[in-house]
Amino acid sequence: MHRRWLIVFFTTLLLWSLVGQLNHYLAPLGVYLFIGGLLVTFAALRLSLRNGLIATILIALAVDAVEPVPQVGHYLLFGPHLLLFTAAHVVIFHLRTRFPREETLFALGTALLANLGLFLGLSFIYIELGAPRHPATASLRLLADLGWSQLFILAIAPWFLSLQQRALELGRIDLAEENHRFY
Amino acid sequence: MSFKRFDQTKPFITLGIIVLAWLLLPVAVKSFLRVTFFELQAPVQVTASYVRNLQDFWADRTHSKDELIEAARELRHVYAGYEFQAQQTEAQQAEIARLEQLLRLPSNPNFRFEQARVCRRDLSGWWQQLTIRKGSNYDLPVGAPVVYSGGVVGRVREVRAYEADVDLVSSPRLRLAANFENDTHPVSYQGGINPPLAPARGLVEFVPPDIVIYSSAPRRLVTSGLGEFPPGLTIGYVARLETSTDGLFQSGEVSLDPRLTELTEVTVLVPQQPD
Repeated sequence: MHRRWLIVFFTTLLLWSLVGQLNHYLAPLGVYLFIGGLLVTFAALRLSLRNGLIATILIALAVDAVEPVPQVGHYLLFGPHLLLFTAAHVVIFHLRTRFPREETLFALGTALLANLGLFLGLSFIYIELGAPRHPATASLRLLADLGWSQLFILAIAPWFLSLQQRALELGRIDLAEENHRFY
Repeated sequence: MSFKRFDQTKPFITLGIIVLAWLLLPVAVKSFLRVTFFELQAPVQVTASYVRNLQDFWADRTHSKDELIEAARELRHVYAGYEFQAQQTEAQQAEIARLEQLLRLPSNPNFRFEQARVCRRDLSGWWQQLTIRKGSNYDLPVGAPVVYSGGVVGRVREVRAYEADVDLVSSPRLRLAANFENDTHPVSYQGGINPPLAPARGLVEFVPPDIVIYSSAPRRLVTSGLGEFPPGLTIGYVARLETSTDGLFQSGEVSLDPRLTELTEVTVLVPQQPD
């Protein structure tokens, strides 16, 4: 039972680590890739509510652990990724029955939309609330980063979604059965 | 019917419970979770960093003996120059100590220099940070200045067991007390202008109106010595100033060194207690 969220969590953590390395090399070019939407998509579309949420919460905690804690006024807002990732997961989970969620194309669209929403949410927390002195100066960079990130997701989402599906199959998990399970 | 409605709202009720639980969770537990999840990923970051060093090592091994001899010859010249400067510095420090004693002035803070390798660069529009491969195992304190040959790198924000996070000078979270070279007026520096595909810039504010800068001769902005940073460290260069809306002060953009985004090794200045 635990294998479901463990497998999804570790494959997601693998992608997160790889993108972290990629960002390390891209830093001198002034480019940053954010893939939050892709980290949430598979768990929200294909797993039951409980298994999916556990995987999403774990990866959100992993992301929060390496990124700075935003300061809102005099208070530290711990876990911005946790709150946003969980919200995105629940929204996707709620809407998934109305769409062909096994289709890669639909999952790709979901990842792009979720990434857009998460990017805007994080920008609001870190720029508007966290460093409100010069928000206009950050907007051009944020717009460019969002563009690169969406293109990157477009390129790797089919591979990553297949990787997660294959990893679950190797773990002898029947995704068809998981699809019928709600909780 | 009511079961179906509950079925549809259950994810949102779960979300509400998770958010509420997270907000009510004590800060100590949140910090513990943060440290735990960081240490879970730390081996990956550190291993990748060591692999990069190994790559550099093998790349250096490809240089011919002639190239190495040439590099050693150049280094000898540089070393001779530095040796002379070190002698001068020693004499000047002795003079400063003598004057401090004579005038009964408080002595300047001393620092221990701790070199550290950069294991992760994380530079986005939201934050600008480096992770270095030394932490509380080398007694690095939070807030310690981080420098390199070009001047200020940033300030240590968070110290872990074997790593530490550094807020870069280009980070919107970093503010410094500064002044222009050969000028005593205090001004304020803040990072945060990070354009895409271009080097980062900062912002200098509260510049008195009597300071004039010509674009043909940019002026060096240095740390003032107020706060954790020792005086005289280069922050960047200012080429233009504009009068602020209230007309009392001027402000302008600070060009930062493009090498900041390519750093592989930095020095942490660890403050030492006076004897």
